[in-house]
Amino acid sequence: MASTYTPPVQLLIDELGRLPGVGPKSAQRIAFHLLKIPADDVNRLAEAIIDAKKRVRFCERCFNVADSTLCPICNDDARDSSLVCVVEESRDIVALEKTGEFRGRYHVLLGAMSPLEGIGPEDLKIRELVARIEPEGIEEVILCTNPNTEGEVTAMYLARLLKPIGLKVTRIASGLPVGGDLEYADELTLGRALEGRRSVED
Amino acid sequence: MIVSRLELIDFRNYSEASFDLTEGTTVVLGDNGQGKTNLAEALAYLATLTSFRGAPGDALVRVGTDQGIIRATVRHDDGRESLIEAELRAVGRNRVQVNRQKLQRVRDLLGTVRVTVFSPDDLIIVKGGPGERRRFMDDTLVTLATKYDAIRLEMDRIVKQRNTLLKQAQKAGHRELPTDIEVTLDVWDAKFSEIADQFGYARATLVSRIAPMVQEAYEHLAGVASPIELRYEPEWRRTGLKAALTAARGDDVRRGVSTVGPHRDELDVTINGLPGRTHASQGEQRTLALALRLAGHRLATERIGSAPVLVLDDVLSELDDGRARALLGHLPDGQVVITTASELPPAARADRIIRIAAGTIVPGD
Ligand SMILES: Nc1ncnc2c1ncn2[C@@H]1O[C@H](COP(=O)(O)OP(=O)(O)O)[C@@H](O)[C@H]1O
Ligand SMILES: [Mg+2]
Ligand SMILES: [Zn+2]
Repeated sequence: MASTYTPPVQLLIDELGRLPGVGPKSAQRIAFHLLKIPADDVNRLAEAIIDAKKRVRFCERCFNVADSTLCPICNDDARDSSLVCVVEESRDIVALEKTGEFRGRYHVLLGAMSPLEGIGPEDLKIRELVARIEPEGIEEVILCTNPNTEGEVTAMYLARLLKPIGLKVTRIASGLPVGGDLEYADELTLGRALEGRRSVED
Repeated sequence: MIVSRLELIDFRNYSEASFDLTEGTTVVLGDNGQGKTNLAEALAYLATLTSFRGAPGDALVRVGTDQGIIRATVRHDDGRESLIEAELRAVGRNRVQVNRQKLQRVRDLLGTVRVTVFSPDDLIIVKGGPGERRRFMDDTLVTLATKYDAIRLEMDRIVKQRNTLLKQAQKAGHRELPTDIEVTLDVWDAKFSEIADQFGYARATLVSRIAPMVQEAYEHLAGVASPIELRYEPEWRRTGLKAALTAARGDDVRRGVSTVGPHRDELDVTINGLPGRTHASQGEQRTLALALRLAGHRLATERIGSAPVLVLDDVLSELDDGRARALLGHLPDGQVVITTASELPPAARADRIIRIAAGTIVPGD
């Protein structure tokens, strides 16, 4: 498709369009919004992005966002290291922590299996999860991937990988809205879902 | 449940029109091209959130405007009323409000308004390819329980994901698949089977329930007893999809697509022992299509204990006199909306007649 905008505008639209959840139409809208607002506002946004990118990194152990090598949860010795909850994104940890039900540690996959988006098991932090089992003495893994197709499939994959190693593998209980995101589940539902987790059959 | 009032703003050729529908039979009279099918489409949209003509969303918004509204007052059997408002945007997301409360997801509306439409295009159910008959089964399932809408969407998604994976495997091109792809395929197959087995069972149950109803409706319309058979017996259901996928894997990888599963099923419809699609006359096919729709309508009425709105769009243009009289003289209980370009035969007892021309209601009567 031939571009109808001058190169800097088109470049901005293209870059915005690569963000998750931003389609071509929204990318256009955001771009023109940015061009309209005062330069100060744009600078603040640009700085916030650059600053966050510079200062925030992923925890070396669990891939949660962190401001040093380890995230606060991995640094907390009071947490039960034999129990690990596997999630897709850091934001899911925030949702689960709010329930106050979980005293173990986490592991962030940084996504879910989705051939359409070109994401296979090798693109997720699965090898890194397996590497944690021995040194940390992990005994139980709770699969808290999202209750949608990709999340379910990722959980099945992990169950097939982890059960033969002799781990107890449980899946967060349903009762979560099907097709949903953990992020949008309320605390009560999530708390109940954690408590009611069940062993995964294959 | 009935729709007592339907208001259209910038929907298709209506800039603003509002229809007071009776709880009995409303006849909408208008020449060709005046907005009869558009009205039927608006009613059906509230039930399915899609155009029954398969039109894309932006085609529903009146040309030259960027937003259309379908507003309906619905009276439930217990006497409660709800106001449903669907805002259709030419660009961007649609919105739905029920009693002025915005629904979080537009699809949460499904199940609130129930509509059965029969239109001349339905001939395709009998005459078209297997996909048309799958769509008939699945649309009917959704009218029985809205969960089938989610299941159908999930199945489509799984097939797309699996086909993408198969294309990757195809490209890898080894005689032996890399274990990574093999295991990934295994889990997608497991997920696919889980949901397909459920869905196949639902289709089979549906078909066995409506078969006698189709027979009855056909006999009534045609006035002759022609044996009709509906057969939904996909090979994979004998073993469950899991085993069938395992058996088909080599083939699937070679071709890069999922060759078995509910997305490939056929519903065989035979009349007098011959396939309706290839052997029945045009008149028989039309009657059969109508009988299928009426059977779906009857099943939905019996299962839910309340009739969907029955919309018959332009049926007189296609049915011969005898069949038209048989249909209109014995309409099922519940609310009915009939659109027509010519006056109805007296056998159809119209409780209200609304005349339309160029997207407006013609005052009078
Ligand atoms: N989005 C639209 N905006 C304006 N007019 C439309 C739109 N879509 C269809 N129409 C008009 O609606 C008319 C067809 O209405 P329809 O309900 O199909 O007619 P009929 O009464 O024969 O069933 C056509 O004249 C067409 O041009
Ligand atoms: Mg028409
Ligand atoms: Zn950590």
